[in-house]
Amino acid sequence: MTGSPLVQVPFVQVSNISRVFDVSRPWLERLTQRLPRQFLVAAANISFSIDRRETFGLVGESGSGKSTIARMVVGLIAPSGGDVVIDGTSMTDRAHLARRQKVRQRIQMVFQDPYSSLNPRWRAFDIIAEPIRAFRLCDSTTAITARVGELLHLVGLDQADGRKFPHEFSGGQRQRIAIARALSSQPEFIVCDEPTSALDVSVQAQVLNLMRDLQDRFGLTYLLISHNLAVVRHMASRVGVMYLGRIVEIAPSKELFRNPRHPYTRMLLEAVPRLDPDRRHREPIEGEIPNPLDPPKGCSFHPRCPHANERCRLEEPRLAKADLSAVSCHAVEERRI
Amino acid sequence: MTQPVLSVRQLRVEFSLRRGALVAVNGVSFEIARGEVLGLVGESGAGKSLTASAIIGLLEPPGRIAGGEIWLNGQRIDRLAPEAMRAIRGKRIGMIFQDPLTSLNPLYPVGRQLVETIETHTHLRGADARRRAIALLAETGLPAAQERIDHYPHQFSGGMRQRVVVALALAADPDVIIADEPTTALDVSVQAQIIALLKRLCRDRGTAIMLITHDMGVIAEAADRVAVMYAGRVVEIGGVRDVIKQPLHPYSAGLMGSIPTLDSDLERLVQISGSMPRLTSIPSGCPFHPRCPRAFEPCSSARPQLARRDQSLVACWLYEDVSAGAAR
Repeated sequence: MTGSPLVQVPFVQVSNISRVFDVSRPWLERLTQRLPRQFLVAAANISFSIDRRETFGLVGESGSGKSTIARMVVGLIAPSGGDVVIDGTSMTDRAHLARRQKVRQRIQMVFQDPYSSLNPRWRAFDIIAEPIRAFRLCDSTTAITARVGELLHLVGLDQADGRKFPHEFSGGQRQRIAIARALSSQPEFIVCDEPTSALDVSVQAQVLNLMRDLQDRFGLTYLLISHNLAVVRHMASRVGVMYLGRIVEIAPSKELFRNPRHPYTRMLLEAVPRLDPDRRHREPIEGEIPNPLDPPKGCSFHPRCPHANERCRLEEPRLAKADLSAVSCHAVEERRI
Repeated sequence: MTQPVLSVRQLRVEFSLRRGALVAVNGVSFEIARGEVLGLVGESGAGKSLTASAIIGLLEPPGRIAGGEIWLNGQRIDRLAPEAMRAIRGKRIGMIFQDPLTSLNPLYPVGRQLVETIETHTHLRGADARRRAIALLAETGLPAAQERIDHYPHQFSGGMRQRVVVALALAADPDVIIADEPTTALDVSVQAQIIALLKRLCRDRGTAIMLITHDMGVIAEAADRVAVMYAGRVVEIGGVRDVIKQPLHPYSAGLMGSIPTLDSDLERLVQISGSMPRLTSIPSGCPFHPRCPRAFEPCSSARPQLARRDQSLVACWLYEDVSAGAAR
């Protein structure tokens, strides 16, 4: 451990990152049909920070920009603007290039679909050993064998399983291999993009418990992306709620689920079916997520919001800090709700 | 009690392969009454969808019904000729599948598909059929049905597409609707809308619904009774309150405990070790015994039968007289 700095700096600091995708028609088509260029704002001015050994959850419906953020944080796609600073090293600043390589080793990712994230032609052993070889973490073959065996054991598999190919494993076992691969470079920060969405509930419970155990044991920091509110509530200490490429509310997990403030968060929590037949819904929720290519003006949630007024239709709200949480809503700011 | 709309008795589905027959559904029995929603819940590989395919006569070879009976309103339908089954499918049994995009033909406007179904299964023709199609779309909550009837599937959002699929299933006013994971491909806010729609239809029209899902939340929200499936068998069947709040079978109990919820602050989730067995290696006796925390002597040797316990039926040696089982 290094000495504590004077100012507490978060381990991961995401500041105002945005990502715009160019989804225009091909040039000739634009020319002949006089079509304008078209841009999709997948993430707009996203800021959050994650402390060491913390799990930060990002939750939202499909198309809200969760995965785009995950990919920008690990550096799989470059942000259109803004910066990601991990342990004091900027991931976008050219001056930090050399240091960035070092930091990259300490970041890993676990993807949603364990059927497509593992190379079907590689044995589990080679899949897990790849980061070790790439980063030259072990100097001999015997050391690699021992390390992979240790990792397999760590995620609840057997050393002999290393000889098998991915198709010989069940979905849950594959996700364990993906986690073993992520752990093999001894990372401190793991970005998990829907790690259990492709799994059955009993297997999901196994993987979530495993992720928690590993966090306790190695002091891992997680960014957990999920559409499943219950999973995020179970795992995360703080949660950001996304809607149409923006964070609408950030709060400590307990606070968010006990006392949701943004109307969208409230609607989302209301919509989740409860495991209680006595608490069935009386009124269904109206509307769907608008087309992200043509988002509503002002607050993007206003067409579905019961508290929307003229200001909401015209002026985009800003994420306003209050204590430990932040909400981006005019109605909350004006204390109308 | 009045006659059930759909009655499945000791259904057995096999896949005949060169190596021998794999039994994918093994002795499944349940009944659905008019206006009732029966939830069929289980993890992947439990045989939920195969049970549905067997009922509607759409088992893909080499899969076949190897035993048991299926009755629809007093008529036995598991041995019908393909033509006779085709007349029932879509008319007396409506179907809703998981992915609304694959249930609709992308090349035709939704109205044309609806009108085709209506003309096939009812006496309505032409303008009358179209009027009925618009009424159905409106009933499923599609805004501006009059204009949108001529739109193509890609012009609809996921939730709206699923409403069109529900309208298709309702076209001939069926006795029973089989909904196989109808909300799984949808976002939570839209999912709640579709569940509400199905419940309303069930109530207003008296349609029986067989709701297949892996999501216990959806079951708790929509079902009247639940059948929990494991490795091709029904292990527990009972009222939704009983099964969710006081599950009897250790598998049902484990399943409930393994689901993270919005209302509890558990540090660790209940964990059932292992996973659903493959069809090639279903354990002897009770198929759940290798994973069961309460397994004891008879579990590995003899299969427990569904037996009444309180308000439910459960197939577990914990609730059965062991000596009776040993004699069997």
